[in-house]
Amino acid sequence: MGLGAVVAFVGLLFVLGWLAGKTGGGEVAGDGVDEQAGSITLAYPFEPPQLDSTRATDVSSSFVLGHVMEGLLRLDEHGAIAPGVAERWEIDPHQAVFHLRATALWSDGKPVTAQDFVFGWRKVVDPATASEYAFIMYAVKNAEAISKGEMPPDTLGVRALDDHTLQVEFQQPVAYFDKLATFKTYYPIRQDFYESRSGRYGADAEDLVFNGPFTLARWVHGARLRFEKNQTYWNRDTIRLNAVDIPYITTDSAAVMNLYKDDKVAMVGASLGLDPEQLKEVLVQRWPMERFNEGAIFFLEFNHRDGRLTENLHLRKAIQLVFDPGELVNQVIKLPGYLPGQSLFPVWLRGADGLFRQEYPASPPKLDVAAAREHLELARKELGLETWPPISLLCDDRPLTSRITEYLQARLKEELGLEVRIDRQIFKQRLAKMTAGEFDIVMAGWSPDFDDPMTFGDLFASWNLNNRGRYEGAELDRQVRIAMGSLDPKTRMDAFGKVQSLLIDEAVIVPMYERGQVFVRNPQLQGVVRRVVGTDPDFTHAYLGSP
Amino acid sequence: MTDATVTNAAGFEPVHVDRQVQKLTRPSLSYWQDAWRRLKANRRAFISLYIVIGLLLFTVVGPWVWTVDPSTQDLDQVSKAPGSDRRAFVAEPYQPWEGVRATVPEGAASTAPPANFKTVGSTTTQAVRLTWDPVAGASGYRIYRNIYRPTAGGALGLPLGDVLSPEQVSFEDRLDLEPMTYFYAVLTLDRFGAVMSPPTSLEVNVVRVITPAQAVERGLVASVADVKVGDELKLALHPFGTDYLGRDLLARLMTGARVSLLIGIFAPLFYVLLGIAYGSAAGFMGGRADSALMRFADFVVALPFLLFMILFKIAFGIGPGESGIFPMLVALVLLSWPSTARLVRGQILQIREEGYIGASRLLGARTGYLVMRHMIPNTMGVILVTLTFAIPSAIFTEAFLSFIGMGVAPPTPSWGSMCNEGIRTMLTTPHELIFPAVMISITVLAFNLLGDGLRDAFDARMRSRE
Repeated sequence: MGLGAVVAFVGLLFVLGWLAGKTGGGEVAGDGVDEQAGSITLAYPFEPPQLDSTRATDVSSSFVLGHVMEGLLRLDEHGAIAPGVAERWEIDPHQAVFHLRATALWSDGKPVTAQDFVFGWRKVVDPATASEYAFIMYAVKNAEAISKGEMPPDTLGVRALDDHTLQVEFQQPVAYFDKLATFKTYYPIRQDFYESRSGRYGADAEDLVFNGPFTLARWVHGARLRFEKNQTYWNRDTIRLNAVDIPYITTDSAAVMNLYKDDKVAMVGASLGLDPEQLKEVLVQRWPMERFNEGAIFFLEFNHRDGRLTENLHLRKAIQLVFDPGELVNQVIKLPGYLPGQSLFPVWLRGADGLFRQEYPASPPKLDVAAAREHLELARKELGLETWPPISLLCDDRPLTSRITEYLQARLKEELGLEVRIDRQIFKQRLAKMTAGEFDIVMAGWSPDFDDPMTFGDLFASWNLNNRGRYEGAELDRQVRIAMGSLDPKTRMDAFGKVQSLLIDEAVIVPMYERGQVFVRNPQLQGVVRRVVGTDPDFTHAYLGSP
Repeated sequence: MTDATVTNAAGFEPVHVDRQVQKLTRPSLSYWQDAWRRLKANRRAFISLYIVIGLLLFTVVGPWVWTVDPSTQDLDQVSKAPGSDRRAFVAEPYQPWEGVRATVPEGAASTAPPANFKTVGSTTTQAVRLTWDPVAGASGYRIYRNIYRPTAGGALGLPLGDVLSPEQVSFEDRLDLEPMTYFYAVLTLDRFGAVMSPPTSLEVNVVRVITPAQAVERGLVASVADVKVGDELKLALHPFGTDYLGRDLLARLMTGARVSLLIGIFAPLFYVLLGIAYGSAAGFMGGRADSALMRFADFVVALPFLLFMILFKIAFGIGPGESGIFPMLVALVLLSWPSTARLVRGQILQIREEGYIGASRLLGARTGYLVMRHMIPNTMGVILVTLTFAIPSAIFTEAFLSFIGMGVAPPTPSWGSMCNEGIRTMLTTPHELIFPAVMISITVLAFNLLGDGLRDAFDARMRSRE
């Protein structure tokens, strides 16, 4: 092959590359931040499976629905309850009345009425919908019975007194209904539109009608999402972005990093956060970084079912005592967004007056190998074992997980001589094995559904189906019931404080870390709100300006 | 009267033998000697042979020489490249810090940065403790850490954390501290968590420390009494560096080589033997039996390897977290023999028709003798070549399966699984990927070149050629 052939070959490559660039994509994606058009471009890891708010469960659905829909109430930029479709509301222990604003319109110009909420909420609890989030409606009268098929959906305790007045009856007194009313499952659905889509409601951008600050202008499955400012939104004058374009739907964090370098996207780590390896790259690039506590807590959950080794309290105590969450976060995970886990209740939760964890400080056990060995010896005698059989540790298959599990495996081997078998499964399979109880220890986590300690507090109640280790504690159940049945913040928080220490004393779980994120944002893009609960990240109040 | 003849040595004379006729111009060479001579002449192949021997020594003798446990985690030296600084000072064990609380001054909210930003106590890899003066009107503080000297308005580096109460004027950094110079920055936050002031920054030199107990645990000193606070020690040596959990890379490469070479040598050995038996049977019998046997071999070729690997894993009851090496071996042996069988059958078919076989048969040789004396030795070259080419492909298969998580179970390393772990940190700590990847490449290349050399050496047509 002579020089000519080489030149020809390279030339051919260039021509092919140019052609690919011309034909690929179809639409040209804009710059990360376009001040003239008032638009931003982003990358997002996943697209929503569908956008019917009654059946939406995942984070990406929350993200999209939070921008294009609005419930009775919403969260403002500081996370406080703010008026949404309802301009006024009265909540007493037994019922709530919401007064809807007359200016609230759907994107096709029709008014948002109380009947739209009644229709949407009945759909959620209708057994035919099989919504995974039906339980979040259980605060409303008869909701549980309806979702179990014992009563018809029209007996749900919600009524449209007139077009603009909605009355909600409670099953039992709820202390946090205003917070629930901001949740996506409580969004309205318009009956005539829903029925006109013949079962395809929420499947595509055309199969939705919007009442939020943005509309979903384009949705190319697997490729692109585009929000545009909703011109019929009642509060449209406060919305300063004209468009949020998401032409990159990818989990490839390195690709997103390169896009940010070329100024093609406005944020890196907008949903999943940066990897430990990317942090160094960002440091070298000298981009400003931000930190965000996601609100989720991760812990080792023991299997408390009969016949499992981990049913033994001393064994659980031994494992609890050889493990230092501080070392795990600082030496193994090495991400500044993460916090060492000390309790089931994360640091951001609000208590009676201030933060819950400041009112009820957690007292996690100190690392104590000698005491752990004593507990292990006691456990061995109680169980009548000569030698310890291997213990299975169930976990998911994310890269960080293998780091953590191998660290734990070595800790337990070195300090206690316990052999740990790591059972790595994909997310769904891990969930299935957790539910079936096929584990000794599982690396589990919990993300909050609403901004109240109850979202964590009832997790280990004996009746909660998400209590996958099947822990049963009479005292813990009693405290959860106290918190459920009371409206007094002090009484409730006291009960949660007791739940917190019971979980540590009984070694029901071993808290590992609170998950956080580090992300990079174009300094021109301001007013982006990161939320622990609900729409995250939230661009409703975002604007473009010089930093 | 006796007619006696005197006989003695002098009466004899040896018959003259003309040795000139028998004189050879070159010494006689057996087939093997000739092959060996030609292999030696092939420099690439010969170097490869030395590399292969070296690898075997590395795997077998290595762990006797380098006796570091491959699963011990040295969290003082995580992801360290070879030749990193190993100095450490002995210090008291880490004690939790209460922090510093101060009364917030009354008055209007100030947008001034926190004053008097300084460290408390010594700044070590255990912890860096920072404190500053409270600021009126602040509701919290945010702390950053950078590896570069901050410029005005520039990036502040890693956001370490927020302090959520104005009275708490301290922060303890324990996050992955390295012995180097850091630039910390602190700024104030308003009640909504928005930044209220410009940052104050501080340069901090961090020294690596180790507690006496840790020093004993890591085997640096014999007992706690041997060291006192302030002594300088050298941390454990890791010639090839460490991985993401501070495990010694050299020890892991040696252990990993065991798995790789175990699969790489035993699997081909077994399936080549199986292939020889099957192929020679088919070739020798010929006719319908041959057809039937070879169609079955074709059928085996069509079976998907990965699927069988998974099926065997289940069939052998290999639970989660247990090593998948045995099913991998079985799957390789059961599914890879047909290529050898085909090759051997082809050779046997050819040799069967050779004149010397006919001659041997005429002289009364039996089948067993024919196969063992004439046929197998004549196919030996082909067989050895197949074997040397099969080894790198088996090593590669093992590496691939461990890479996708089907092979060894943690904490046992293999070169493939080490690559899988190393690829995630390719940009920041490339040595974690480079070492196992280079080992795989060298091994595969060496076996391939050796195979090439053997093929040339055993090629009968090249015999006696220079």
